[in-house]
Amino acid sequence: MSETSDTVPVTVLTGYLGAGKTTLLNRILTENHGKKFAVVINEFGELGVDNDLVIDADEEVFEMNNGCICCTVRGDLVRILGGLMKRRGKFDGIIVETTGLANPAPVAQTFFMDEDVKRATRLDAIVTVVDAKNLIARLADSKEAEEQIAFADLIVLNKMDLVSEDEAAEVERRIKAINPYAEIRRATRSAVPVESVIGRDAFKLERILEREPDFLTSDEHEHNEEVMSMSFEVSQPIDAEKFNAWISQLLQAKGQDLLRTKGILAYQGEENRFAFQAVHMIADGDFIGPWKEGDPRKSKIVFIGRNLNRPQLRRGFEGCVASQGAA
Amino acid sequence: MSEGMTGSVEDADFLLSTRGAGRELGAWVVGVAFGRDGKGAAFGLGDGTLHLADPALPEAEWRRLEAHDGACLTLVPDFADGFLSGGDDGKLLRVLPDGGVSALADFGMMKWVEHIATHPSGLRAVAVGKAVHLLDKASAKLKALAHPSTVGGVAFDAKGKRIAAGHYNGVSLWFVNSREDKPRVLPWKGSHQLVAFSPDGTHVVSTMQENALHGWRLTDQQDMRMSGYPTKIKSFSFTGKGRWMATAGADCVVLWPFFAGGPMGKPPVELAGGDGVLCTQVACHPQHEVVAAGFQDGLVLMAEIGSGKIVPVAAPGRGAVSALAWNATGTHLAFGTETGFAGLVDLSRRG
Repeated sequence: MSETSDTVPVTVLTGYLGAGKTTLLNRILTENHGKKFAVVINEFGELGVDNDLVIDADEEVFEMNNGCICCTVRGDLVRILGGLMKRRGKFDGIIVETTGLANPAPVAQTFFMDEDVKRATRLDAIVTVVDAKNLIARLADSKEAEEQIAFADLIVLNKMDLVSEDEAAEVERRIKAINPYAEIRRATRSAVPVESVIGRDAFKLERILEREPDFLTSDEHEHNEEVMSMSFEVSQPIDAEKFNAWISQLLQAKGQDLLRTKGILAYQGEENRFAFQAVHMIADGDFIGPWKEGDPRKSKIVFIGRNLNRPQLRRGFEGCVASQGAA
Repeated sequence: MSEGMTGSVEDADFLLSTRGAGRELGAWVVGVAFGRDGKGAAFGLGDGTLHLADPALPEAEWRRLEAHDGACLTLVPDFADGFLSGGDDGKLLRVLPDGGVSALADFGMMKWVEHIATHPSGLRAVAVGKAVHLLDKASAKLKALAHPSTVGGVAFDAKGKRIAAGHYNGVSLWFVNSREDKPRVLPWKGSHQLVAFSPDGTHVVSTMQENALHGWRLTDQQDMRMSGYPTKIKSFSFTGKGRWMATAGADCVVLWPFFAGGPMGKPPVELAGGDGVLCTQVACHPQHEVVAAGFQDGLVLMAEIGSGKIVPVAAPGRGAVSALAWNATGTHLAFGTETGFAGLVDLSRRG
């Protein structure tokens, strides 16, 4: 993904119908921050949006013709972002609101797959608004609700006025079981500081795994079909070639189940950290500057997805350790 | 560049400086067009302005019009004289060389008028979202053609009898005069954008989201894949008699032969390559086998297809070429760039 500073940041707002997305959107737009946004909404929005530049989009997902079934892209976004770039300088950022039932993967993949989108914009963050009162019921009946949490960088836990502290804690526990890496902000009427939503740069490779998750020690058995996350760490240097071979094969074979993959790697004989991220099968990686003096050079990889096989993933990652004595 | 192009940057500007004029217009040049009657050249910009020049007097002052509340998305010659401009303000405007503007249709503020095609018979096809609206001379709506997804490009065949519209998973062909509106769909997986008929009406070609073009031979619906490009193809053009199809998207002009059984099984010809700069726009001369090409670095040139001989029109350095067009008789060439430079050259004038 392009990291140059003259790319326009794009924030993606997801969340189930009625969770408070549009309220958050209007809050961002009306707060006095001196910034101008172009807003892309879907045709069936619940509420009006208070902004000069609103573009009405039909969410049009299509499969790339490259033989990879999970390479789906939002064609309407390619078109709209391309159009907006022709009047560059008229706004500081773009906010894309998805429909309640949207799977976030095609939106995210658009920023990895389309060269024009990559050249002109950058995915800033995926922000998911959830309804504290109804989330657990939604998770039970909707794959999309789970995926919206799995993809989130920030989760706005909304409608806190409607739940008890115990209920809120249970909802947070469920969210963290799916995605411990997302920041959770509790809110009522979507009231969260705008700067916590906009300008997160969450997809910048430099910031991958910057947040230490609040890990949960849960003994509860999680069903395989549920989205969960797993992370693995090794303290010996990684062999770049072995890692590439393993991860490519893994993403090829299991890409449909792997929603998001992120890693920071210490390659053998390399002073710089290597950052890696993937959305389903589509991966992106680069060196992001040196390890801090004195910090342990530990390589870490995180998977968020379904049907994750812990022993197999661990063996695979540990198998990427460079053999002793090799240069 | 290759043969015939030596010397300094100033030399490459020889045609622009001696037989034309250039202007800094301040915003992305989305489209350029000449009136079909030879009167007027127009430039449509990303800031919603239109700029009108007189082809007979490129150096004279150009007229600036505040046309769209937003961006101009497409600009084409109207069926007889003047221009049609589509904007992201939902407006379809008719613009005359003297600066007269009238709104032919308003599709609403959040709808984008993205693609327009016209035919000398008086037909106008206007793509807005998933629909292609067909208008007559008097701007009366004849019909609205519905597609399964947003239309990425629209074109008439040479006779004005059929319309092609690109969308997801194929191109729809419609007969303008058919009573029953049911398209013939040319299927191919993926997202199809710009479309064109070959001048003889035997082939339809589309650009795709992938770095490729797709084509169909209409007689037997055989598929043609034209791939191997390093980037998306944003521009392609048939030569006047349809022997060649020139395409952008590579670091040279790629020309596919549409004769002697081609393009199936025939390799394309490459022109004006060699310096690694991406070709962004192409426009074939309306009569001769000559192609004008614009590049990522701002260079504009003409190449003779038979000899490979190259003549520079404008030097690099003014932004990636984003629009390029000939007038109907092939005496004038106009271009514009992403950073807002626009040029108009009269090639019939003695230097």
